[in-house]
Amino acid sequence: MTTLLNKQTTKDGVFDGLERALGDYKIAALTKREGKILFDYVKDVKDIEQEYTPTVLSPKKFFFPQEEVILEYTFDGKVTAKTNPEKIILFGVRPCDISGIKILDEAFSESHGDPNYLSKRENSIIIGIDCKSICDEDAFCYKVNSQYPESGFDIMLHDIGNDYSMTIISDKGEIFAENYFNPDMVNYTALAKFNIEKKEAFDKLGGPWEDLDNLPEIFEENTNHKIWETEAERCLSCGSCIMVCPTCYCFDVVDELALSMKVGDRLRRWDACMLRSFAEVAGGENFREEVENRVKHRINRKFNYLMKKHNQSVCVGCGRCVRACLADISPVTIVEELTKTSRALKIETKNNDLYLPEKVTITKVEKFTEDEKFFEVEFDSGRSLGHDPGQFVQLSILGIGEAAISISSPPSFGDRFEMVVRAVGDVTNKLKSLEEGDHLFVRGPFGHGFDAKIQKEMEGKHILYIAGGIGYVPLRSLINLSLKHPEKYEKLSILYGCKTPSARMFKNELEYISEMKNNVEIFETVDRPEDKWLQHCGVITELIPMIDFNPDNTLAIICGPPVMYKYVIQTLKEQKLSTKNMFVSLERRMKCGVGKCGHCQIDDIYVCQTGPVFRFSDIEDKEEAL
Amino acid sequence: MSKPKVAFFDFTSCEGCQLAILNLEVELLELLDIIDIVEFREAMSEKSETYDIAVIEGSFSREKDRRRLEKIRETAGVVIAMGACAHIGGINSLRNNQTRDEVQRIVYPDNPTLYETNKKALPISAAIKVDAFVPGCPVNVGEFVKVVKNLVLGKAPGLPTYPVCVECKMNENTCVYEYGKTCLGPIVRAGCNAVCTSNGGVCIGCRGLIPNPNLNSQKDIMEKYGLNMNLIMDSMNLFMTEENKAKEV
Repeated sequence: MTTLLNKQTTKDGVFDGLERALGDYKIAALTKREGKILFDYVKDVKDIEQEYTPTVLSPKKFFFPQEEVILEYTFDGKVTAKTNPEKIILFGVRPCDISGIKILDEAFSESHGDPNYLSKRENSIIIGIDCKSICDEDAFCYKVNSQYPESGFDIMLHDIGNDYSMTIISDKGEIFAENYFNPDMVNYTALAKFNIEKKEAFDKLGGPWEDLDNLPEIFEENTNHKIWETEAERCLSCGSCIMVCPTCYCFDVVDELALSMKVGDRLRRWDACMLRSFAEVAGGENFREEVENRVKHRINRKFNYLMKKHNQSVCVGCGRCVRACLADISPVTIVEELTKTSRALKIETKNNDLYLPEKVTITKVEKFTEDEKFFEVEFDSGRSLGHDPGQFVQLSILGIGEAAISISSPPSFGDRFEMVVRAVGDVTNKLKSLEEGDHLFVRGPFGHGFDAKIQKEMEGKHILYIAGGIGYVPLRSLINLSLKHPEKYEKLSILYGCKTPSARMFKNELEYISEMKNNVEIFETVDRPEDKWLQHCGVITELIPMIDFNPDNTLAIICGPPVMYKYVIQTLKEQKLSTKNMFVSLERRMKCGVGKCGHCQIDDIYVCQTGPVFRFSDIEDKEEAL
Repeated sequence: MSKPKVAFFDFTSCEGCQLAILNLEVELLELLDIIDIVEFREAMSEKSETYDIAVIEGSFSREKDRRRLEKIRETAGVVIAMGACAHIGGINSLRNNQTRDEVQRIVYPDNPTLYETNKKALPISAAIKVDAFVPGCPVNVGEFVKVVKNLVLGKAPGLPTYPVCVECKMNENTCVYEYGKTCLGPIVRAGCNAVCTSNGGVCIGCRGLIPNPNLNSQKDIMEKYGLNMNLIMDSMNLFMTEENKAKEV
C-alpha cells in the first residue's frame, strides 16, 4: 500500500457512486434476506442496510467461502486448479471485521501464498464504515484494540454528519473513489472531531486490556489453570464459535466424484479445531481428544500462538462467538480470569499451483505385509522430487482424496522416489489395489526434514536410529543416505522393533545391513516371535542398553507409532542422552502441507512446516507433542 | 468394474426412506450406472437370492424378524442401515420406556395380543452386524447416494461426526434459541445441511447423537431456556431413546 490520503464526499455521493459501480462490479453489503441481516450481494443500493446489526458470519466468507472447489479433475487424469476470483466491492465492513481480514491477509500470504484466498482479495475493493461505539454488549473490540485497523481495507468512511470523511490507503481505493465518489477536499476539523469522539467513546468503556501485549506469556504460564476445565465442562464442542469467527481459517479437503465416476472436484471446506475429529489421524489416534485441550487450543490460537506471529491479538473482539455460544463460554471471561493472576501487507497471488498436483506413474510395486505396500514412482514430467530425508508428499488419487505420505528413498535416488503405504484411510486403502503403470498425483515435497545442517551435525557422531514398525519407512531415507558413506560417522546403530517378524519392512535390506561390517550394526526385536526368529523378543526400549554409546557424541533419531516415543525418550534420558541430541519425526493429520489448514498444529507450531522432523529439546515442553 | 447388486428390505418402519429414494428420479437413473438394483419391494416385483449390498429400512421389533435379518446378513457383503429406525431405533423406540403390556393395551385396546412384538424396538444392529448407516427421518437422499458411491469406490462412508450447529452456522441462520425455542442441534449428527433449522424448525434429533455429545451441558442449556427435566427427556427421546439409554450405562 503506497497511498494514505484523506478526502470527503457526501453520503448521497457514496450511494450514487455505488449505484453506478453496480454495472462494473458485484457489490456485497449489509442487507436483509428472509428476515435475517447478513452480508450478501445486492442488486440495488436501496437494499443496503445503513444501521449496523452484528451478523452471524463475518465477511471473510467472500474470500474464504464455507466451501469452494480448488481442483477439478477427470478420472483419466486431467487436473485443473480453480481459483474463481471475481471483481467485487465489499461495502460497509466494520473495523473489527477489517482487522480480521488483515489477519487473514497475513496468514494466507505467508510462505506458500494461498492462491484461492489471495486472488479473491486481489480482485476486491473493501470499503469500511468506521464505528464510534460498540454495536452491542457482547462486542469487545476495544479490549483488543481492533477498532483502529491500519490495513485490511481500501477506503474507510467516517460519518461526520451529512458527509463521509474518507481514509484511502491503496491505489485501487484512490482510483475507485476518484471514479465513483466524486471526492472533495477533506474537512480536517470534522475528521479530527470524529476521531476524538471515537476515542472518547471507546476509552469510556475501559480501553484495552492492560496486559494485552503480554497475553502470550500469560497464556504460556497458565496452561494448567482451572478455568480450562470449568469451561470445557460446559462446552458442547459444537463448533459454532469457530464457524462464526472472522479470523479462523482452518479447513478440510475432500474429493467428490460425480455419479458418472468420470469427473470430480477437490473441495475445501471450513473445519474447526473444536470438533472432535479435527486432529484424528487415519490410524485412529486423536491428538486432541479431550474437550479441555480443544478449548485451550482455540483460545491459545487467538491470544498466544498466532498472536506471536501477527503481533496483535488474533481475536478481534467482534463478539460473534460470545453470541453463538449456548454454554456462555467467552474469550473475555477466560482472558480476564487468566490476567488476574500494524503493518500494511501487499496482497499478491504468488503461485497459482499450490493445490495443483502433478501426475506420477507407478514404476514398481511390492507387497510387504497384508496392509503395507511399497511403491516406486516417477513424475511424468521427468522432474525429480528434490527432497530432504524426513520430508513428505501429499499423495492423491482423484475422486478418493489426498494423504500425507513419507518419502522412503534417499535424496540421490535419481528421478524416482519410494514410499511405503499402510492401508488405514480412504486413499491408502485404494492404493492397495494399484499396480505398476497406474497413475497417482503428488504435491510436494513438504515439511522440514533432515536438512543439510542436521546432516552436517551428524558427521563424526555415533548415530542411533530407533524405528518402530512402519516408522522405519521415513527413517530409511536418512539411514540409506548415511549407509552410503558409513566412514563419515563414528558409528551407525540401527534399532528396529516390530510386532512380528513378518511385519518387518525392507527385509532384504535389513539382511544386507546386518552383513555390513566395521562401524555399522543393527539390532532387531519383535513383540511376538514366529518360526525361526533367532533375535531379541520384547519392546524396543530393551535394545537401547545393549548399545555402547557416549552420550556426549551421540545423536538418536526416532520414528515410530505415537505410543513409542515417550518410552524410548525416557530410556535414552536414563542413559544420559540430552534431549538436544534427540530427533523425532512426528505424524499428524495434514490437509494442505503448508501451514494453513490447521490440522497438524501442536500448540503454536505447524508440524507440516516446522516438522515433521524436530529436535526433541525444541518441543519437549509442548503439551501436545507426544 | 462390475456393478454391485443392491437389494432393499424393510422392517418396522413407515417405508418413507425407500419412498425418498424412489423420489430421486434423475439421480436414481444415474445411480443405476454404478449399481444394479435386484430387489426393491416398493419399486419392482423381482426378487433375488444373491446381492452384494443390502439396504435395510426399519427397526428390529419382532423376534421372528431375527432369522430374516440373519439371512440378509449371510447373503450380503455389506449391510447398510437406512434411516433412523434401522440406525438408532428411531420413533419406534419411543415405546421402550413402557412395558409391553402397556404398549399393547394402548395401541390395540380391544385385542392387545393381536400382533406379536418384542419388548423393545431396536436398531437392526441389535440383531446383526451393520457395516454402514445413513441417518435421518427420512434419510437425506444426497447422503444416501454419497454413502453408496463411497462404498462402491472403496472409501469410508464419509458421514460427518460433527453436530448440526456447524451446518446451521454455515447457512448463517440466527440460532433458534434466540427466538426462545429449544433445539438439539448441538448434540445431533450433521449431514442434513441443517434442513429443519434453516426452514423455521428446530432439530428434533432424527439423525442420532454425535460420537461424544456433552449431554449434561445440553440439558443445562435446555433447562436455562425454560424446559423442565421431563420435557427435556421427552425431546431427547423422540428419536434417540436407545442412544440415550446407552449413554446412561
